[in-house]
Amino acid sequence: MATFGSFALIIALALAAYNLLAGAVALRLLATGQPAPISPERLADTARRAGIAGFVAISGAAFALIWSVFTNDFSITYIMEHSNRALPGMYKFSALWSGQEGSLLLWAWLLGIYGFVLRLTHKRDVTLYAYAGAILAAVQVFFLAILNFAAPPFALFRGAIPEDGNGLNPLLQYPEMVIHPPMLYLGYVGFCIPFCFALGALMMRYPGEKWIRITRVWTMVTWLFLTCGIFLGMHWAYAVLGWGGYWGWDPVENASFMPWLTGTAFLHSVMMQEKKGMMKSWNVWLIFTTFLLTLLGTLLTRAGLVSSVHAFAQSSIGTWFVIFMGIVLAVCIFTYIYQRSHLKSEHRVESLVSRESSFLFNNLVLLAACFVILWGTLFPVLSEYVVGNKVTMGAPWYNTVAIPIGLFLLLLTGVGPLLPWRSTSMKSIRRNFILPVAVLWGTVIICLAFGVRPWKDGAFDSGDFYALVAFSLSTSVLSAILSEFVRGAGVISKQTGRNFFTAVWLLTRRNTRRYGGYIIHIGVVIVVVGLAGAAFNKNVESEMALHDKMVIGTYTLENVGFTQDSNLNYNSEFAQLDVYKDGKKLFQMTPEKRVYLASQQPQTMVAIHSVPGWDLYIVYEGTNASTGQPIIKAFLNPLVSWIWAGVVILVFGTFVALFPSLLPSTAALRVPARSAPVEPALTGGAQ
Amino acid sequence: MTPTLGLICGALLLIGTFVYTFWPENVFASQRVKTRLDYLLERKEQLYENLRDLSFEHRAGKYPEEDFLNQRALLENETAQLLAEIETLQQA
Repeated sequence: MATFGSFALIIALALAAYNLLAGAVALRLLATGQPAPISPERLADTARRAGIAGFVAISGAAFALIWSVFTNDFSITYIMEHSNRALPGMYKFSALWSGQEGSLLLWAWLLGIYGFVLRLTHKRDVTLYAYAGAILAAVQVFFLAILNFAAPPFALFRGAIPEDGNGLNPLLQYPEMVIHPPMLYLGYVGFCIPFCFALGALMMRYPGEKWIRITRVWTMVTWLFLTCGIFLGMHWAYAVLGWGGYWGWDPVENASFMPWLTGTAFLHSVMMQEKKGMMKSWNVWLIFTTFLLTLLGTLLTRAGLVSSVHAFAQSSIGTWFVIFMGIVLAVCIFTYIYQRSHLKSEHRVESLVSRESSFLFNNLVLLAACFVILWGTLFPVLSEYVVGNKVTMGAPWYNTVAIPIGLFLLLLTGVGPLLPWRSTSMKSIRRNFILPVAVLWGTVIICLAFGVRPWKDGAFDSGDFYALVAFSLSTSVLSAILSEFVRGAGVISKQTGRNFFTAVWLLTRRNTRRYGGYIIHIGVVIVVVGLAGAAFNKNVESEMALHDKMVIGTYTLENVGFTQDSNLNYNSEFAQLDVYKDGKKLFQMTPEKRVYLASQQPQTMVAIHSVPGWDLYIVYEGTNASTGQPIIKAFLNPLVSWIWAGVVILVFGTFVALFPSLLPSTAALRVPARSAPVEPALTGGAQ
Repeated sequence: MTPTLGLICGALLLIGTFVYTFWPENVFASQRVKTRLDYLLERKEQLYENLRDLSFEHRAGKYPEEDFLNQRALLENETAQLLAEIETLQQA
């Protein structure tokens, strides 16, 4: 399989190079109208077909690697280093992305899949797709060149072939790790597609904003994958790393979050371009930046630029990435300067209090958050370069800066939809803001009454203060969003005579993009409430002999056993803890510690009991070497399940937004004379 | 899979992808160059959507009457200018 895999990678590289060169030549011939021995259309079509054929070749290489993992072919160095015979079947798939070579192959394969779909759907706009396809081929050439020359996944093991492999990193031996990395990569890789369309549209001076509509589905699907990837990663960190949290501002976490922030900004600001012909340069640079950040993310994860608990591969391919990122940036700058006259805005922001300005602020805040995180992530590298010492920014620094930014963003989430386009009168502000403001202050009073107070024993408590602000803003934003549904449904209900719930359904179906977006915002609000719960986390740690008890919150834990187990893959020790509440036994929890046989690496398996109000989170930390007693650490983490529930709502909202809207019931419009008033199809409803 | 079989499979892949890429086809997808008129027609649809949006939000109670009339006048003026240009281009 190693021979076939290597051969397939060479073929894929040759096809991508042909796609790039033939595509570029054909587009040049079409643009200039120069005579040529072959028709440019024919040449462009062979380039497109080379892209499709390249997908088949790269799929062959990916198949070869997966086959080799499942057949325990330890003659391939990569398989020997990242798998072993006793590894369960589903984790053998994980071996594909557990090391650098495999994960780069996954990158290239996913890029091939996206490219395959792009090239099959080219009839939607042949020229624009040809530009996007050629740019995509350039990115494919880069990744395939690395796979062929710098990080070959099919390199053979030198010397006697071992009987068994080194095994998979224990951190990856968790069910979510079978889907988290591919999700994240689908997000990373997917942003290449809107980047290619944006750069292609700029190169060809694409008239109008239709390219945004074409790329909207690509961008949203990619954003959805990245969102799912990030939250699956959070859940994995929560359930596996055993420190009681889900986000530690680790460089690799940050690497996935930065393109998500700029991608989110892009999804918002392209609406301005579509609707008003504004922010064209801004949007182009947002998507350029997003793509560059995905490359940076891959560099951080795969090249070991900064140290991280999540960086599963260390290597020297960093130089390749830095050079490629430099080339991408140079091409973007050159194209922008050369074609910038094409990006003139048709309108300007007329008032600071308008929906346009709220979009602009939203973008600025998202970018500010991205810059802060980028600064913190790269600070160790910069500090080492400038002063010779590696200074790492810890979680408290990120929290100090990022929490206020996040809360301001939450505020804008509620304010934006309430503001009219162009400008806002005081009367309009009073009318639209009275409910959210009342809800905000109502929540503040309730929270204070229930003990969420920013001062404790005369001292200011920033955790409680931020929680108070987060809860108050969340209910306020929720009321603003729900009022949008209620008002819209009221109009539909009046028009059609349907009941309220049918009217909400019709409202959403008539403009899935807007109301799907609102559902996403509801999901974000629920996530924020869950995150704010961290201000009230509690934890206790102690040695527990048999029948010893530990109290946390309203729960009492009793150690009723300490036992061991083993299988072909690992040995494990676990504690058996009966959980009581008000003297009544509720259930038993069994936190575990494993030692994997192949790698001899330990791994914590946390026991979590989750209810809507809190999580009871128990970690078995091993035994005290001097006393031989098990050490148990218990956490009571409020509202964590709200985070995961919010994500489910967010995903549902994205699916709604991806669904095509129903057309307005009255499609025909009378075209007025220049001076006459225009009469649009107002009876059409929610558009 | 032996190296020889791997090479044979690789050669088959090479031949297959080569034939698929360069298979002589005489029918290609093509499109005419997009004109300003095409762009204006797209823009017209967007402006109508903006007008429908404005009207719906007014009926949902988000805009006071004077704000609505003012916004609608601005949008109608923009649409009228666009329609006039479309008409000129279509006549030409």
